[in-house]
Amino acid sequence: MEHGGNLVNRTIMLPASVDEAVEALAVTPGAVPVAGATDLMEAVNAGRLRPAALIGLGRITELRGWRYEDGGTAVLGAGLTHARMDRPDFAALIPALADAARTAGPPQVRNVGTLGGNIATAAPTGDTLPVLAALEATATLARAGAVREVPISHLLTGLDPLRPGELLTWVRVPLLHAPQVFLKSTGRSGPARAAASVALVLDPARRGVRCAVGAVAPVPLRPLEAESWVAGCIDWDARGAEGAVLIDPAALAAFGEYVAGACVPEGGAHGEGAGSAAARLRRTVAVLARRALGRALK
Amino acid sequence: MTSATELPAPAPADPGTGTTGLGTSPLRTDALPKALGIYPYAADLWAEGLLWGAVLRSPHPHARIVSVDTAPALAIPGVHAVVTAADLPPGPDGTPDGAPAGPVTADRPVLAAGVVRHHGEPVAAVAADHPDTARLAAAAILVEYEPLEPVTDPEAAFHAAPLHPDGNLLRHLPLRTGDPDAVGAVVVEGLYQVGRQDPAPIGAEAGLAVPRPDGGVELHLSSTDPHGDRDRTAACLGIDPDRVRLVVTGVPGATTDREDLSFQVTLALLALRTGRPVKMTLTRAESFQAHTTRHPALLRYRHHADAEGRLVKVEAQILLDGGAYADVSAEALAAAVAFSVGPYTCPNVFVDAWAVRTNNPPAGRMRGEGALQTCFAYESQLDQLAKQLGIDPVEIRRRNAMTTGDPLPTGQAVTCPAPVRALLDALDTTPLPALPLDDPEADWLLPGGPGGAGDPAAVRRGIGYAVGMVHMLGAEGEDEVATATVRVSGDHATVICAAVDSGQGFATLARQIVQSVLGVSEVYIAPVDSDQSAAGPSARGRHTWVSGGAVERAALMVRHQMLQPIAADFGMSVELLTINDGKITSYDGVLGMPVSEALEGRELWATAQCRPHPTEPLDPETGQGDAFVSIAFCAMRAVVDVDIELGAVRVVDVTVAQEVGRALNPRQIEDRIEGAVAQGVGLALLENLRTEGGVPVNASLTGYRLPTALDTPDIRIAALLEERDVVAPFGAKAVSAVPAVVAPAAVAAAVRAATGLPVGRLPIPPEDAIVPV
Ligand SMILES: Cc1cc2nc3c(=O)[nH]c(=O)nc-3n(C[C@H](O)[C@H](O)[C@H](O)COP(=O)(O)OP(=O)(O)OC[C@H]3O[C@@H](n4cnc5c(N)ncnc54)[C@H](O)[C@@H]3O)c2cc1C
Repeated sequence: MEHGGNLVNRTIMLPASVDEAVEALAVTPGAVPVAGATDLMEAVNAGRLRPAALIGLGRITELRGWRYEDGGTAVLGAGLTHARMDRPDFAALIPALADAARTAGPPQVRNVGTLGGNIATAAPTGDTLPVLAALEATATLARAGAVREVPISHLLTGLDPLRPGELLTWVRVPLLHAPQVFLKSTGRSGPARAAASVALVLDPARRGVRCAVGAVAPVPLRPLEAESWVAGCIDWDARGAEGAVLIDPAALAAFGEYVAGACVPEGGAHGEGAGSAAARLRRTVAVLARRALGRALK
Repeated sequence: MTSATELPAPAPADPGTGTTGLGTSPLRTDALPKALGIYPYAADLWAEGLLWGAVLRSPHPHARIVSVDTAPALAIPGVHAVVTAADLPPGPDGTPDGAPAGPVTADRPVLAAGVVRHHGEPVAAVAADHPDTARLAAAAILVEYEPLEPVTDPEAAFHAAPLHPDGNLLRHLPLRTGDPDAVGAVVVEGLYQVGRQDPAPIGAEAGLAVPRPDGGVELHLSSTDPHGDRDRTAACLGIDPDRVRLVVTGVPGATTDREDLSFQVTLALLALRTGRPVKMTLTRAESFQAHTTRHPALLRYRHHADAEGRLVKVEAQILLDGGAYADVSAEALAAAVAFSVGPYTCPNVFVDAWAVRTNNPPAGRMRGEGALQTCFAYESQLDQLAKQLGIDPVEIRRRNAMTTGDPLPTGQAVTCPAPVRALLDALDTTPLPALPLDDPEADWLLPGGPGGAGDPAAVRRGIGYAVGMVHMLGAEGEDEVATATVRVSGDHATVICAAVDSGQGFATLARQIVQSVLGVSEVYIAPVDSDQSAAGPSARGRHTWVSGGAVERAALMVRHQMLQPIAADFGMSVELLTINDGKITSYDGVLGMPVSEALEGRELWATAQCRPHPTEPLDPETGQGDAFVSIAFCAMRAVVDVDIELGAVRVVDVTVAQEVGRALNPRQIEDRIEGAVAQGVGLALLENLRTEGGVPVNASLTGYRLPTALDTPDIRIAALLEERDVVAPFGAKAVSAVPAVVAPAAVAAAVRAATGLPVGRLPIPPEDAIVPV
């Protein structure tokens, strides 16, 4: 392990493996892991965070790629950058995650910002989060001498949070070999945080549709009833047939409304202003969900 | 060959045929260093033994200051001084009043005394040996506030208890002309709202103050008004202006005044107090709190027109939110009123306009202040009229367009070129951008951006037109004057002029002027400081006119000195000699002498002033008067794509036709137009410093959305009309403000065309562009 930086000697560590990193976290009080620093430095600059020590993850090459497991699962390194996930080989594998990575900030940020950082920050507008929720991904959390596997949704909701000294190492994602879509509404053409986003994946093997709505609540929301209802509206057997219509357009629109109704509460109780803001958000989510399913079934 | 009697006086500043001088497009000398990141700004300055300044700001938009205890800050090791309003000269009654100052009315304290009137108002400042220590110490100052109810609704300001001894009404300006009872065949009404645009300069406020042995202070700042700032700083400190020297550093972006007075005076005060150089740089969050913004506005309009769409009567009520202090609200209001009808003729105009004080962030100067807000309103009204009457939006504008000699509603005749119709006609000579249909193979950028949620089936294209106007130079009797010195020594010339090149390109222009007049190619532009003669602020497109005019005059005087002995030698008058491409030639071709030869061993210099014709204040009862020196006009066509389900708008193309008098540097003009259009598009769609209860909620570059390259359309120049303005030096008009004035209106018109919706708010919220099903 190297000790970097003469400026703040011994406070920046650059481990070269997961084991070294976990060890460093265990023995350094107050140490904080840092990957692309696109969220961390913002907190430091704003004075919200003054880490006693930093453990840079950039040299852990194993976490910057992915591998396959049991034929049906991709195991993604926490150090995968958004830019890397946007590349065609990755996009062919997990299209919705690539879509999300493509919109997660300007190029400078996507070149260094990572999947692990996005999950650990757990911002409501974290773009990979609804995709991971829809994919029902799990995370591997490592600490000295112990490794555990936690559903991403449990991590995000605080049901089973990241504990001090724990490193997020891997993200397990099922490979579905079917269309998936991530749509984000920002109200502008340049890079921006989501006002609302929808991730939608098809799981033809289980004849399922899974959907998660981002940015409208502290964590991504799953409209489970709408998912199972719409799965029943899809003509799964017609998939692949030339010119087949897989779903009635009216069902598409109804799905949008269903998702929006499930994920954006009526704002009426908070007075008219909040009510109309909520109505607008509902409309946006309905459009996104309708378009997402429409694209997935095209 | 021309005979002597027929020969006109030498055209000042011959256009020249060469590659230097007026009419060419030399690259700015600061372009490369800026692109390479080696151009020095105030934030890069350093002085031996310097201390760091930090400011404590009010967390309340309105509160009484019960007590200030600086002891905890002073107790921190490394802290050298803590200053409050009590350290500034006292007010007339002998108690601290924070040494109020301001560009027009001295109502804004340097440091709050007894009361804070806006969120982020400076209350105290610290000098310490490390920037972190200074910030920590500032945070350690104990201020006890008694929060007061903030007045944040400008309409409530009229009846609210006075927020300031000067009251809440910053100015009321009525305008009455014509027959109040006139009625038209059609009447359209509209309510229009403009949000709070922030100048968001690329470089935040920064400066260095160095105490002088004579008890004075030297300030190194990116000031855009060095003499005004010197005088106001000295007045606030209670010292003689001669003992304050302002040295202007590189200006990192200015579409408004820089830097705010409180920043300058506090910096100077800390240096004087500690006897050490003090440096201060604001964080981005502080920068949002420190500088002034564009005036948010509420405009109610009623247009009467005849069946052909000709304007019969315009009635308007205009309310500008001035924020906590007066700043230039009175000036902005004059522009709003005078240009309330736009570049159209209308016999009957009745306007009431108010600028009021609130506890919102102070508003000030920003490209086209006042004129921009009304342009959005009157152009929206014309779109409504066109729709109601079934007339083409361009045609209705052509029918009402003013032309040279027509009066403004203020009674002033527009004597400068006003080719409004020609500008409108020029737009359509540039073809419209392609539709996705024309080129299905291309990767179309949909509203919502790359990877966004855009769906081609929900995208509608709209084309909108707007025309607008803004005055140049100070208005309503303000004394406009600039002084410049030109010196020639050997083969090179030097310009000494205190006109700050705030990025507008004045230094490049000054060089071109001297090259044209004197034929010397090497021209050095001296850095600006307040020991030079005054040239006034970099605002309202002044410098092209007054400072450019002063440079030209000084150069012409030097030219005369240079040519006189030669003319005498040849027994002809100076008027018969011309300078072209570095060569002096006589009318008869006998003489052909390089300028360098004529100048050999000589040193010539001259100082000259330029002072345009005076103006007068608008009448406080009727709004009548000759208030402006000259007016700039511009027409625009905007093309937008709107996702009518999500309300996302992408501006595809903006085509500009502008009246420039004379294109002194065509490339620089294009750059200025592009910058202004980008800023206008930002206001049209994105930029709004939102406040809740007077507190800004998005004062960061994440929250405050500036246009990026993806948000900025293709900007094309259909025409730069060159009809000389006979009273302007070179016949040229300023170019930067008017495109910013017109762009928001043009974008709004295009969104209106795409959606069929009224579009009454800027920036256009997505919900205003969603077509209900
Ligand atoms: C201008 C800008 C625009 C942005 N736009 C978007 C956007 O549109 N959408 C979006 O989703 N995000 C956006 N972001 C946020 C940010 O870029 C992403 O969240 C990014 O994925 C964070 O990754 P990072 O590697 O930079 O994290 P860091 O900043 O390095 O870390 C963030 C947090 O995660 C922790 N952490 C990092 N890695 C691990 C790990 N392996 N195990 C445990 N803890 C870890 C750190 O300790 C820290 O607390 C933007 C940021 C900026 C600056």
